[in-house]
Amino acid sequence: MHKSSQVQGASSPENRYPEHGTFPTSKSSIFRLKRAAISQRLIKHFDKGNPVKDYSTELGDSRHDLHDIHYLANAIQLCPLFFPWTLGGILVEVGPGPNLCALEERKGKERKGKGARGSSFDANELSVKIEHQMRKIAAKDSTSCGACSYNSSLNKYEDSGEYNDELFDEYLHSLVDESDSRGNGGNVYTMIVVRREGQKDASAVVGKYRHGWIVGRVSEEEAVKKVASVFVKAFVNGGKEEGSISGEFMPVGADGKIVLSFNLLNADPHDWIYDWEFQEIDDNLLAPILKYLKPIADISVESQVLYHTPKSSFSYWDEKLWSYIFTTKDLPFFVNSNEWHLDTSVAAGGRSKILHLVVYVPSATECPLLLQLPNGKISKSNGFISPMWGSVVVWNHAACLNGSKMDTRVRHTISSEDMRKIFEVFIGQLRQLFGLKSKGIFRDTSSGTIRLLTSEMFGIQELDVLSRQHTCFNLLQCTTTLGSLSRLVQSLPRMIIKEEIGEQVRYSLEAAKSALSNVSAGIYDASAVSSRRARSFSEDAFYHPSMMSVSYYSFEHCFAVYSPFFLPVALHVLLAALREWKRYKQESRKFKAWKAKKD
Amino acid sequence: MATSFKFKPLTISILLLFLYNAIASSASGSSSTTMHTNNWAILVCTSRFWFNYRHMANTLSLYRTVKRLGIPDERIILMLADDMACNARNKYPAQVFNNENHLLNLYGDNVEVDYRGYEVTVENFLRILTGRHERAVPRSKRLLSDEGSHILLYMTGHGGDEFLKFQDSEELQSHDLADAVKQMKEKRRFKELLIMVDTCQAATLFSQLQSPGVLAIGSSKKGENSYSHHLDSDVGVSVVDRFTFYTLAFFESLNMYDNASLSSLFTSYNPNTLMSTAYYRTDLYQRRLEEVPVTNFFGSVMETIHTDSPYRAFSNRYYRKSKTEMPSDQSGGGNRRALKDLDILEELADPKLNVRPLQSTYLLVHEG
Repeated sequence: MHKSSQVQGASSPENRYPEHGTFPTSKSSIFRLKRAAISQRLIKHFDKGNPVKDYSTELGDSRHDLHDIHYLANAIQLCPLFFPWTLGGILVEVGPGPNLCALEERKGKERKGKGARGSSFDANELSVKIEHQMRKIAAKDSTSCGACSYNSSLNKYEDSGEYNDELFDEYLHSLVDESDSRGNGGNVYTMIVVRREGQKDASAVVGKYRHGWIVGRVSEEEAVKKVASVFVKAFVNGGKEEGSISGEFMPVGADGKIVLSFNLLNADPHDWIYDWEFQEIDDNLLAPILKYLKPIADISVESQVLYHTPKSSFSYWDEKLWSYIFTTKDLPFFVNSNEWHLDTSVAAGGRSKILHLVVYVPSATECPLLLQLPNGKISKSNGFISPMWGSVVVWNHAACLNGSKMDTRVRHTISSEDMRKIFEVFIGQLRQLFGLKSKGIFRDTSSGTIRLLTSEMFGIQELDVLSRQHTCFNLLQCTTTLGSLSRLVQSLPRMIIKEEIGEQVRYSLEAAKSALSNVSAGIYDASAVSSRRARSFSEDAFYHPSMMSVSYYSFEHCFAVYSPFFLPVALHVLLAALREWKRYKQESRKFKAWKAKKD
Repeated sequence: MATSFKFKPLTISILLLFLYNAIASSASGSSSTTMHTNNWAILVCTSRFWFNYRHMANTLSLYRTVKRLGIPDERIILMLADDMACNARNKYPAQVFNNENHLLNLYGDNVEVDYRGYEVTVENFLRILTGRHERAVPRSKRLLSDEGSHILLYMTGHGGDEFLKFQDSEELQSHDLADAVKQMKEKRRFKELLIMVDTCQAATLFSQLQSPGVLAIGSSKKGENSYSHHLDSDVGVSVVDRFTFYTLAFFESLNMYDNASLSSLFTSYNPNTLMSTAYYRTDLYQRRLEEVPVTNFFGSVMETIHTDSPYRAFSNRYYRKSKTEMPSDQSGGGNRRALKDLDILEELADPKLNVRPLQSTYLLVHEG
């Protein structure tokens, strides 16, 4: 609106043009120079305070990063995420024939065959590694013919009817050496089918590593089908019915953190007060969970004990079961948010996710309290989850069950045995919150029953499933957030984008690129970690507190608000400038005339 | 005799490539595919000064209603621009009534005000909606909703054509509100949003909304005023507005387990008694109002899934690490009734698989 105008000083008419021909340096001229300087300074100040000036120079480089966002969004949406992996199957038949050493040979060939991808092979392709393995295994076993412990363990199985899944799992793990499978791109999943005539139904067992086995009487075509369906159900989907990724079972906060808040609720302290040894549990039971879930989320643990926390649903006395019963219909109303002050965490930041894991100790008026399922049976876990909120376990202590009196003035501690049982339920519930099954067995109509080995809290193949799903989810969230951010910024061209936001966008894009490259290399853990970082940075950028659109008005609004202040003053300044200009023109005309007269 | 095994390679490596696409494209239709996970309520009273007592009472009445129907404090953001309960002019200190019969004290127990007094500003309000807080703002002051949340936004105070007055000094424009809702929708901060406005010319405040999944009802149309219900001669001011009064009358007959529909709520307003037309807009909302229970917005029903069984992962592990002796069960003697895990044994039908004997659980059932 205003440009600073230079006004040259001019001397007074009287002694402006002295005889010596130089321009005057007398007092009056100094006064006029001063006048020019003052007016110039005034106009500059006015100009500085002008709010309608263009701020485009202040935006800097931050907007340029936003072009990269579109590239990333396209990369994710047009080219879907490919997770490379390999499935191998091995069929074992029980019957007369060559001895078990052949099993090792063929296993070795099979493994090599995976690298060769489908070419036929013959007996000469034995690698040194396999021989080494055979020797090692043969040394362990006492029977002749270099029989392996597989043979002996299956013999034991035959004779005594005892079968140890765990040992078999470990044995298979030692055979299927996974350390050199990564070179092939992705992880290798193995399914072993054991054909035995005696068996009627084929049952599948999935170990805690990346392999499983099917035992039963199946033809070769059936075996292929079964292997494929077990593979899809267990290794790909992790036991879920559909393979889709719903946000309901992704309890990781936007900054990649989860806070597990353990609460012990005493419904009525007048009856009894319970306490627990949480530190012991934290060290022994929770440390492995944190270790397993490290690539997926940053987990921290808190605990508290609360009193006077009755539930808000009702239970009724059942004579047959000799206890108070609440049904699955009451579950949505169980949590009494008025009295249960669970969300008191100070460690959880604004964007972390808190999961409340609650142990409820009922009062004497409703003890024992059992959960009855719709089919009439009593729940084994006596607990339930609410997705994205947490879970509740109702614990009835032994004294209330046999009606013995308890000293109400003493604070009782829950025994280690009971704590272990409670935490087993918590582990099952935590698995459910992440979308896995809480128990180690699930049915599938096409492949029969699939049983999971439950000696670890999460099998490695389950962690693979979780890593993959979280990677996809995080990358998707990251792209939508960055896309929204770029749309927002483009719709408000006059908004100042701080350098910090641009940096965060850049970090987010870098992390997303590294996640994509990890995905194509098949490294699940690293891809989960980088996708988490990408999402966290993108959320930080989007939710930066400086981007409040209410502070950035449209040009018309600015004009309408500020013109009553500035227009009247501007008028005077303009008039003054015009007057000065006219004066300059007059004086310079006079000077030219004098100069002409002189010559 | 040891059997030996014939062996055949089953499949040569199957390289499987799986596609993990498609959720990106569901951004527009997400409200139909995501599940309703939780309910939030944002209750805003924007007026200050003693003679605006009724706006405070409106907001507190609605706060009481949503709490009674199940939304917990941690999911309610209550903004009160002034303090009526402890106002020097309040004849009944620490009590706020919405009826001249003084039967119900709205400011009784468990009132948790998140933004009070001068913290109730347009900027803070928009920060709540968009989620752009400073780092130090505590969780109780944030709207921590996710893509499955249903949000109830109730605003009351003095308003006019396309604006709502905050604190007698600034205004919330309808396009600001529309912009904030648009950003919320882009960031998927809600599944469905119900906006209820009780001011003069309330319907103009949500006239600029464009985002899908939003339902809005206002107490009056453009050019109409909204009126207070009655004057309490004891307290000395009007204590409730008509629109809120009739809303509360509708809800007093409900409890947590009911499922009256939204259309019954919206059609319960009678223009003659309201002295204005309660206008609502459903063009942005996909579902039919007859099918939507009011507890979808005003109450809260948690989604629950029961846990099938405990996950017996560390029977050996725990004892090895902690080196404690196995404690004997505390229950003694004769009347002990125990449940063995019969169900798990039934499921593992294979007779050859010998399952380790499972310890008795802490659940006791009478052996019949």
